[in-house]
Amino acid sequence: MNFLVQRSDVGEFRRRYRWMVLVVLVAFSILIGRLFQLQILEGDVHRAQARRNIIGEIPQATSRGVIRDAQGKVLAANRPSYNVYVVPELLDLEKTWPRVVQLMGLDPAEKQELEQKIRTALAAPGGRKSQQIPLKLDVERDVVARLETHQGDLRGVDVTPVPVRYYPFGELAAHLVGYMREVDADTLAELEGRGYRAGDRLGAIGVERRWESYLRGQRGWRKVLRGIRRRHDKEQLEAKYLEEPRRLEPVPGRDVSLTIDIELQKSIERGMRGQLAGAVVVLDVRTGRVLAALSKPSFDPNVVSGGSGKKAVAEAFRRLYADPLKPTLDKTISAAYPPGSTYKPFSALAALDEKIVTPKTEVDCRGGYEYGRRYFRCTGVHRRVDLYEALVHSCNTYFYAMGERIHIDRLAKIGMDFGLGAKTGIGVNPESRGRMPTRSWYTRRYKGAFRGGFTLLAAIGQGASTVTVMQLALSYAALANGGTLYQPQVVRSIETSDGTIVQEFPPRVRRMVKVDSEHLAWIKEGLAGVVSESEGTAHNEAFPDIDMAGKTGTAQVSHVTPRGVDPDKVWYFNRDHAWFAGYAPVSAPEIAIVVLVEHGGGGGKNAVPVAARVVTDWQKLKEKRLSARATAAKPAIKRSSL
Amino acid sequence: MRANRISFRSGPQIDMPLLIGVMAISTLGVVNLYSATSVYIDAGQRAGIADIYVSQVYWIVVGGLLAILAAAVDYRHYERLAYFMYVAGLVALAAVFPLAADIRGSSRWLQFGGFSFQPSEFMKIFVILVVAKYLHNDPKTEPRTLIDLAVPLALTAIPVTLVMAQPDLGTSLIYVLTVGTILAMTKLQVRSLLWLAGIVAISVPLAWNYLLHDYQKARVTSFLDPEGDKTGTGWHAFQSKTAIGNGGLWGEGFMQGTQNQFGFLPDQYSDFPFAVFAEDWGLVGCVVLISLYAFVCIWAIHVASQAKDRFGAALAIGSGALIFWHSFFNMGMVLGVAPVVGITLPLFSYGGSSVLTILVALGMLMNVSMRR
Repeated sequence: MNFLVQRSDVGEFRRRYRWMVLVVLVAFSILIGRLFQLQILEGDVHRAQARRNIIGEIPQATSRGVIRDAQGKVLAANRPSYNVYVVPELLDLEKTWPRVVQLMGLDPAEKQELEQKIRTALAAPGGRKSQQIPLKLDVERDVVARLETHQGDLRGVDVTPVPVRYYPFGELAAHLVGYMREVDADTLAELEGRGYRAGDRLGAIGVERRWESYLRGQRGWRKVLRGIRRRHDKEQLEAKYLEEPRRLEPVPGRDVSLTIDIELQKSIERGMRGQLAGAVVVLDVRTGRVLAALSKPSFDPNVVSGGSGKKAVAEAFRRLYADPLKPTLDKTISAAYPPGSTYKPFSALAALDEKIVTPKTEVDCRGGYEYGRRYFRCTGVHRRVDLYEALVHSCNTYFYAMGERIHIDRLAKIGMDFGLGAKTGIGVNPESRGRMPTRSWYTRRYKGAFRGGFTLLAAIGQGASTVTVMQLALSYAALANGGTLYQPQVVRSIETSDGTIVQEFPPRVRRMVKVDSEHLAWIKEGLAGVVSESEGTAHNEAFPDIDMAGKTGTAQVSHVTPRGVDPDKVWYFNRDHAWFAGYAPVSAPEIAIVVLVEHGGGGGKNAVPVAARVVTDWQKLKEKRLSARATAAKPAIKRSSL
Repeated sequence: MRANRISFRSGPQIDMPLLIGVMAISTLGVVNLYSATSVYIDAGQRAGIADIYVSQVYWIVVGGLLAILAAAVDYRHYERLAYFMYVAGLVALAAVFPLAADIRGSSRWLQFGGFSFQPSEFMKIFVILVVAKYLHNDPKTEPRTLIDLAVPLALTAIPVTLVMAQPDLGTSLIYVLTVGTILAMTKLQVRSLLWLAGIVAISVPLAWNYLLHDYQKARVTSFLDPEGDKTGTGWHAFQSKTAIGNGGLWGEGFMQGTQNQFGFLPDQYSDFPFAVFAEDWGLVGCVVLISLYAFVCIWAIHVASQAKDRFGAALAIGSGALIFWHSFFNMGMVLGVAPVVGITLPLFSYGGSSVLTILVALGMLMNVSMRR
């Protein structure tokens, strides 16, 4: 072992050892210093970050409030839409996919298209193939049932319910109730801080839009542990790491009860079935509440609210906007039309007030009226007519003669007093103002050349005068109730989801119209005669005993053809609008009704039957409800006596 | 220290402080590995990872036996075999390229029967041996020039080049630092020191531009600008810092660290076990652990200072340097004071080759200690 004895001098190394110890101590001290910094000085920051890492907040969906009619019938509610999603990566295209096709009952074309979609996602770079892609939205219940029964064999296929707005009555009152749309980027920026997120839906028009903030409700959240792998001790871990409060319950949206009576709305819809386009409003003359409002043609809010996907919505809107009959326009509020002869009662009131005419004043109608170099035509030859007969026969000559002696501003003022040519303040949907032309308006419009003929036309509701259907209904309600002009109301009350009333909306009077009650009585007598007299323009043999008063109107339309109309159909758009405005019953009015049939032709022939039918149905409804209430009340009394 | 020795007979005496220190570190390492991998218990396909602490115990037992063997044979025999072992190590390193199993983009492992091992790990010991032998046989007393150190530097450069090509920046860094530490014991001329500084200053930018891979550069840049990127390369560093800070003074408790238990720590059983330890045991636990590593390093210097010859001293310093640089760089990387390079924490990181290498090195340290 002598080769092991050989030794070398270690002296050279000696002086380095202390330095090395120092280096070791300094190096590890740096580490400890850094640990001190991270764990003690910055400990709270890192602990907070560690908590943020593991705790997530899952939003808890709220449910949108229900919209009901005056009788409690649901007009808008929520239903689950069952959407089928696939994760392309997990789906076995050889085995599972044909089974899915069979269970969903897809036809070959659909199968081809969806398979293409899956293959595209599979081929796409990045993580797309591991994410859910929608296969089909809003599938039928039995498909859902079949898919759920076989869920075990369908790896990568998920059925998820998503709440969707549901309108049980479809097109009925769609303009008033409204529909939902997805919030766009601009609106989202505007609504910042109010809990909206991309992909949320909000009310687009009507009550859905006006009462959005009430209907919407408030999202809740729930804290969860993220990335949790060990499920067996999940509850203990949650108890340890999730601070109270662990959840915020969502607040469901408020329910909204409308003044609308959907049964009456149905009756209007039936009455208007023979007409292409138009609008009908029925009001309670004692409150100004809107009982029914129909705008035709309508649309199905279920389709445009997006339950069946963005593509279906875009397609539906493309069709709606292309329709020259303007289905998206609320013709009760957002469009103004010349009132025609329905304006005559107001002209007459002004003339009576100015003492230009008395009920006994007579005018000889020979089929027209000569004024200056123009000849103003009447609807017929009425011979000698007084005020009553002029209203019953809707004699233009009488009103031309009157118009020659009255100032146009007086005619405009009486209309304005009754709320015509001014916004009603209904609140839902954009309102058209309409127009009651005055002298100064004409001066501005025709560059100083005012002509007396304008006044003659204004007296019969033609010329530049325009009103909305809603305005006219309110003005007739004011005629019926003795001069009270109400603000129209659509919402009766706001309720919590358990039915407690949060807010009620009592009737609101806009103005008491100053009108001589004797004058009013003469006018009302005339309006009753329009319906009851056998020569009355609103007399209809089909409804001989109807208890209704009112005035017909045939409004000439300016011959401007809307764009994009088939030349073969232009004749339709040149036809007159048919009006009927009135109230019922005659002696103690309860409702006011206005019917406008766009391009319907004569008011007597086209608008009156609709109004008569609605009033008849309204009577029947009223009686039915009275007797139903009577029978319902009896057992209640019995119970309380026990 | 003499009191600890069994002194009824002359001859090799077991170095009890070293033994106890190493056993303490190993125990903590296995316990920590259990916590680090417990997150996989219910993890389905990866549930097997939850059991690797058992394998780690096996490796420590095997490594312990090898260490006893390494300690039992007089270290002066290694001096004779140093060149042979060095060449054998180089052959194994070169064999990696045609034969290696490619794991995560770099080829470091050799399949050997049912086991795969990393020749680059064992090469650390052979490099220490060969440099120690050179110094042993070059008994200068006057200050050296760089030319005097050309041979040991060249002996280091060959394995460094081979390992860089795998590519494995961390391991080649360990070679360089360990050899550098051994050579730091020698006296150098002032002029040579200046030359050395100059060469380093020139070679660093060159290495940056031509030698380092993009992912390696990215790790360095993310170290220099830790806030710059919390999702990409900076993710590991960010989450490990969060885990450490979350530990606080006393720690979240054994198997209670949320960063680990909820899967926010990547590589928690290979490169980041210290983050798990710091989160579970807090500053107090970390100070204990760092003190243990510091003790082993300083003890190695102590052993070197009492070594009978240059070979023994260089061997002791080399073994200590191996522990020091591994532990310092790994903890520094986890703490965000060093770039993220794949350097294991001795006896904490899971891995057979790493455990065996460290334990054999400690066995040789024990060898020198027993024969001062």
